[in-house]
Amino acid sequence: MRGTAGALTVALAWSIALPANADDVDLIPQAVRQAAPAAAAPSAPAAKLSLEDALTAWSLRDPVVPLPGGASVDARNRTSLDLRGRWRLQDDLELSLSDRLSLVEQNDFAFPSSQSPRNDWREGYLTWEPAPRAYLEAGRINLRNGVALGFNPTDFFKTRSLVDQISQDPSALRENRLGTLMLHGQTIWDGGSASAAFAPRLYDPTPVQTAPGAGLRAGLDRTNASDRVLLSGSVELADLNPQLLLYHDGDATRLGLNLSRVVGKSVVLYAEWAGGRYPNLITRALAYGRATGTLPANAPPVLPTDPQSAFQNDLALGLSWTGAAKLTVNAEYLYHQAGLSRADWRNWFATGTAQAGSLPVTGALWYIRAWAADQQEPMTREQLFLRAAWSDAFVPHLELSGFALVNLYDRSRLVQFGASYYLSDRWTLGAFLSANVGTADSERGSLPQARSAVLQALYYF
Amino acid sequence: MKFLVLAVFLIVSGVAAADPSAQQIVAASDKVRNPGQPFRLTSTLQEYVAGQPRDRVVLTVYAKEDAATRQFKNLVRYVAPPRDAGKMVLLDGTRMWFYDPASKVSIRISPQQRLIGQASNGDVLTVNLARDYKASIAGEETVKDADRQERACWRLELSAATDDAIYSRIEYWVERSSFRPVKGKYYSDSGRLLKIAYYHAFRDELGAPRPTETIIIDAVDPNLVTTMTSSDYRFETIPEAWFQREFLPRLKAD
Repeated sequence: MRGTAGALTVALAWSIALPANADDVDLIPQAVRQAAPAAAAPSAPAAKLSLEDALTAWSLRDPVVPLPGGASVDARNRTSLDLRGRWRLQDDLELSLSDRLSLVEQNDFAFPSSQSPRNDWREGYLTWEPAPRAYLEAGRINLRNGVALGFNPTDFFKTRSLVDQISQDPSALRENRLGTLMLHGQTIWDGGSASAAFAPRLYDPTPVQTAPGAGLRAGLDRTNASDRVLLSGSVELADLNPQLLLYHDGDATRLGLNLSRVVGKSVVLYAEWAGGRYPNLITRALAYGRATGTLPANAPPVLPTDPQSAFQNDLALGLSWTGAAKLTVNAEYLYHQAGLSRADWRNWFATGTAQAGSLPVTGALWYIRAWAADQQEPMTREQLFLRAAWSDAFVPHLELSGFALVNLYDRSRLVQFGASYYLSDRWTLGAFLSANVGTADSERGSLPQARSAVLQALYYF
Repeated sequence: MKFLVLAVFLIVSGVAAADPSAQQIVAASDKVRNPGQPFRLTSTLQEYVAGQPRDRVVLTVYAKEDAATRQFKNLVRYVAPPRDAGKMVLLDGTRMWFYDPASKVSIRISPQQRLIGQASNGDVLTVNLARDYKASIAGEETVKDADRQERACWRLELSAATDDAIYSRIEYWVERSSFRPVKGKYYSDSGRLLKIAYYHAFRDELGAPRPTETIIIDAVDPNLVTTMTSSDYRFETIPEAWFQREFLPRLKAD
């Protein structure tokens, strides 16, 4: 690819640019020698403010298992003002805010209307440092854990936090998500750290929404519908940087572990695991639907499944490799034991096609998938995640990226190709093309969204 | 003041000025570039393409010499451009992490990955060459510095001696009268010339004359030249606890 051609070009340029007896000092351009002394360097800004416009178009298809109500959104434009900032109020007190205010135009509602404005209050919290490197925090905090990119088993606070996204790249989904109202404490010492977080239940569980983040509501019902506790500790040990986590969310306790290690000059190996006793995805999804009134309270299970709790493992095993041409590739094996097995998928399609005319049945089947998406929980037990990012690709300032999330049972996949061009220090232009690829009776091929295209313009103030 | 660093070095080492070893020359030159106690500075990297100014990156660098390894650990925070402001890089041997406040994610990076992005140019400045490289004197030469002044130098040949060494080989010119670094040529594992660095604009900073501007010529694409200007030098109390992943989100803005 670029490697060979690039190397040849460079070799040629180098041979032309550097005659055998040239003095290296001649390579310093006149402009550099004559440059005025640099103006005083700016100090780090407290806040980052940006304006973004994102135009998305979807190509829709009729799924083999009918989606009740159908998919109606095929065009959306979102204009957003985005603020992230940290302000020091006193030497030992800091305020952090993160918010995105948007105006949305969409083909299935009028503009302007009550549905047009949308606010995503991601974070707002105070940090008090009563002693050096001991922190107490209170407010809405986006607490994130995990070393993997495609799926983070130890990112326990990701559930129901998703807001409208540009890129479907799992590694980008974290950039816009809702924090959880919590108390958080952390202490950092030489070679280690420990933290504890408590997020109280403030609301009863609310139904899963298919249109994420609509309106100006804070969405705390999504993030604070159960009492949750997370304890974590990390140490510097054998260059593995292990982090151990213990999480409890009202009815289940999970353990988690993160490890990473550099191998040679170009490779990083990493592993992320979490495990605990709880029912599988199908059982939890249907129970949630019944509890929140979306599904009838006495509805029988739509799929044969084991309703009992069992020890479930989540695992992401990965490596990243970086080449000399600023190309970084990640490959990860993702395992989600609670997700649908090959047999579960067969049942999903067999039931859905046999009872395609039954709204309660197809509604329940699609509800399982909507619930998993809302939880940011993989539907499938085994997946492969491949990602490549290439900085200064072909020309300076152009960053190309692509990823594939592959279902290892039916080979269906979500693929995306993205390009970002840094037009200037303040302007970035982006384009993303995504597709759900696979046969009609596969996980990705059965989705109504066949393809999507996004154009993005971003300005940093 | 001018010869303070040299004098201190010579007293400590007890070596006659006339015939220091290659390793001692490199060590003395390291001390010209960096003070022995923790410090911070602001580094402004201005990129030129075909002689025309293009990108400008401003970094705040916190540097501390590891008492055991004698190598520098760096915490680097992006100040500009606006799209990168707030991003951080931890560079400590093979423990290297990149933190993005937007996603609140720390990603472990490899030595190769650190070379993507301007933060990697920091190693031209703060790396202790004497610790990671085995030096030999290849000769004595008069070379032109960045200001085209002729400098009587030792030409040193440095080869990687530890796994932490980023470059496999460095050609290094050190002025004989002052132990100031004048020029370095940095090579990859495959023997490919990657960078040519000129150290100049020596000014008194943190108790000694130090190169406040480094001109880095990209040898792979000689049209690409980066100047790295250091300013706002300050000695800083930098606890060991700063050099770990968990601290990256905690570093306070100025």
